[in-house]
Parts: sequence; structure tokens; C-alpha cells
Amino acid sequence: MPEVKIYSTPTCVYCRHAKKFFEENGVKYSEFDVSADEKRAEEMFAKSGQIGVPVLDIGGKIIVGYDRRAIKEALGLE
Amino acid sequence: MAHELSPMDSYDFVIIGAGSAGLPAAVYAARFRMHTLVIGELVGGTITTTHVVENWPGVISITGWDLMDELKRHVDVNNVPVLEDRVTDVKKRGELDFVVKTLDGKEINAKSVLFGTGTTRKKLGAPGEKEFENKGVSYCAVCDGALFKNKVVAVVGGSDSAAKEALFLSEHASKVYIIHRGDKIRPEPINGERVEQNKKIELVLGKNIKEIFGEKVVKGVRFKEGGELKLDGVFIEIGATPNSALAEKLGVKLNEKREIIIDVESRTNISGVFAAGDVANRHFKQAITGAAEGVVASFSAYEYINNPKAPKK
Repeated sequence: MPEVKIYSTPTCVYCRHAKKFFEENGVKYSEFDVSADEKRAEEMFAKSGQIGVPVLDIGGKIIVGYDRRAIKEALGLE
Repeated sequence: MAHELSPMDSYDFVIIGAGSAGLPAAVYAARFRMHTLVIGELVGGTITTTHVVENWPGVISITGWDLMDELKRHVDVNNVPVLEDRVTDVKKRGELDFVVKTLDGKEINAKSVLFGTGTTRKKLGAPGEKEFENKGVSYCAVCDGALFKNKVVAVVGGSDSAAKEALFLSEHASKVYIIHRGDKIRPEPINGERVEQNKKIELVLGKNIKEIFGEKVVKGVRFKEGGELKLDGVFIEIGATPNSALAEKLGVKLNEKREIIIDVESRTNISGVFAAGDVANRHFKQAITGAAEGVVASFSAYEYINNPKAPKK
């Protein structure tokens, strides 16, 4: 299983959808709250050019937003 | 949990949409002992992006997410499966005989269907909007608001949702403009009072956005009427269009706003087809009214299944 990182904010609902998906599919992930951690916010922007969450890093593949089909593909669940 | 369906699965009632109309409909459908399936792209629906819900009677204050999480649990304990998928086609082959197709390639037979498909956020259509999407342009204040700590942002729109977004953003940003083309905003009066009392919020009225400009990220907006406003973030909240194309293809009548026309029993012009919530032609669209329309649709579907040829009452 590739390494999974999620850049999120505490109130971001699409982040919660993504985390719920990971939990239901037994996918381990690291979560970074970019509203509180400036370094991670910069890292997220460098990786994706985004000021919007969630940004997902699945084994180096960057997915913006809760795109279930792209997530499944990146995880090899399809 | 993902729900496994066999290709031959057949249901009494297929609910398209897992939001505040579809999930309450599922709870009642289970009580009517209808074999029911909910299919939704986003479990919980649009209200999950609402920070605080204070008008669901009996619950003083709750986040949109938590409210829908509770509703989903209510559906789960009633053993109604919820399939996370997108419906791509609905056909009527005869009375009590519908076929529902999904993006993941499922074909599901149904005796009746409910469209609780909600709406899609309208885009502004201004130059720069697409270029700077997620680079300062956002459609979800609850998601992205915290990224604009001590920054200057604007909400575009004049509705109650726009006012609520501005109030939420004021918890993070140093300044929040509400940009509206009209001469006044039209929030629920309680939220209007909160906006007035909030020192961080300033109304910019009678202005239309000509362009969102920036460099890698948003720097501001220019107005058709002249002038510009320097901004770090622009939150678009200018209403929504009904997700009614599938229903239209099925022959369901829409009004001029492309909302599905329903009667007081949540019935459409096609027998066995029901609609509820934001996709339907109701003037006052709330989570609670959508839930009620969904529940009524369940009862109407139950009556239809038991007597499909009965004249409409």
C-alpha cells in the first residue's frame, strides 16, 4: 500500500469524507492540519499549488479534493 | 461500508441522493418495509458543508456534518444500504418497472424512484475564476476558511448562505467583504443582525465582478462598475442549479428554473417517480423542508407500489 498523507483543516468536510473512506478501506494515513502548521501548509502549496483542502498525497500522486475514483486508482483498489 | 450488489438486485424504492431529503426518506421507507436502496455521490449531501445548523427543530446547534452523520446512522440501523456511486440513467419500462444505471456499471431494478439529487453550486463565470480555483477562489468556506487566517477575503453573493459563510470566515480572516450585485443582501433576519454586528464584515453592494486577478494566487477582483478590491481569497456563493437532467431525460416535467415540479404528495408527472429537497420546485428550501418532502415521497411510493393504478388523490 502506498504512503498516504492528507493535508486538511479541522472543519473541512471533504477531508472527513476522505478520512472516512480510508478508514472503511483499512488505509493508514498521516494527517496534517495546515491551518495550524505553517510548514505543512507551505509543503502542500509547493506540492500542489493549492490553497484548498483536502490535498492528498498517495505515494507521490497528488489528488485535490475528495475524488473517490482517483483515490481508488491511486491506491490500486480498482 | 461499501455495499455489494448483485446485477439482478431489485428494489421497491431507489432513492437517488443521500442528502437531507434522501436519508430521511430512507428511514421512513424502511418503516414501511419497502426494500430500499439509497445511491449517492456524497453521503450527507450539500448540508455537510454548512458549518452550523441552528434551524433543525429539536437540535439547538449542530454542524452540518454531525447532523447528517446522525441521519446516516439512523438509516444504517434501519438496514437500508447506501451505495456511494453516481446514477447515470433512469428508465421506465412500465408501471413498477424502472431500471437505474450507475457510473460504476451497476444496473438496478426498481419499482419506484425518488430524485433527491439536490443542486450544484453556480459558478460566477468571470475571467480568472477557473484559473484561480483552489488558489484563492473557493466554493467551500467551511473547508478552506481556516487557510485564510488574518487575510482579507470576500464572499460573493447576497443569500443567507453567503451571510453565513461571511460569519464563519470572520472567525479566521482579518476582514470579510460581502460583494453583492443588488442593493441589499437577503439573509435570514437573525443572520442579518449578526452580519451587522460583526465589525470584520463590510458590505460592498451594487457591484458586479468583471475579473478575478492574481499571480499564482488570487490578488483581488475588479468590478464592472470600475474600481478593484485587493483580496487573498474569494468565496463564491451565488446560488445553485438543480441536478434535474436525469429526471428530465426520463420525461419528468421541470419548471423554468429547471426544478422538478412536484405536488403536495411529492409526486412528479410520471407515476412511480417522486422528488424532494433542493431539486424540487419549492420556494423555501431548507434541510427540514427537504426532509419532510422526502418522507412524504416515501409514503407516496408506498401507496404507489401497493396500488399503481390508483387515481391520484
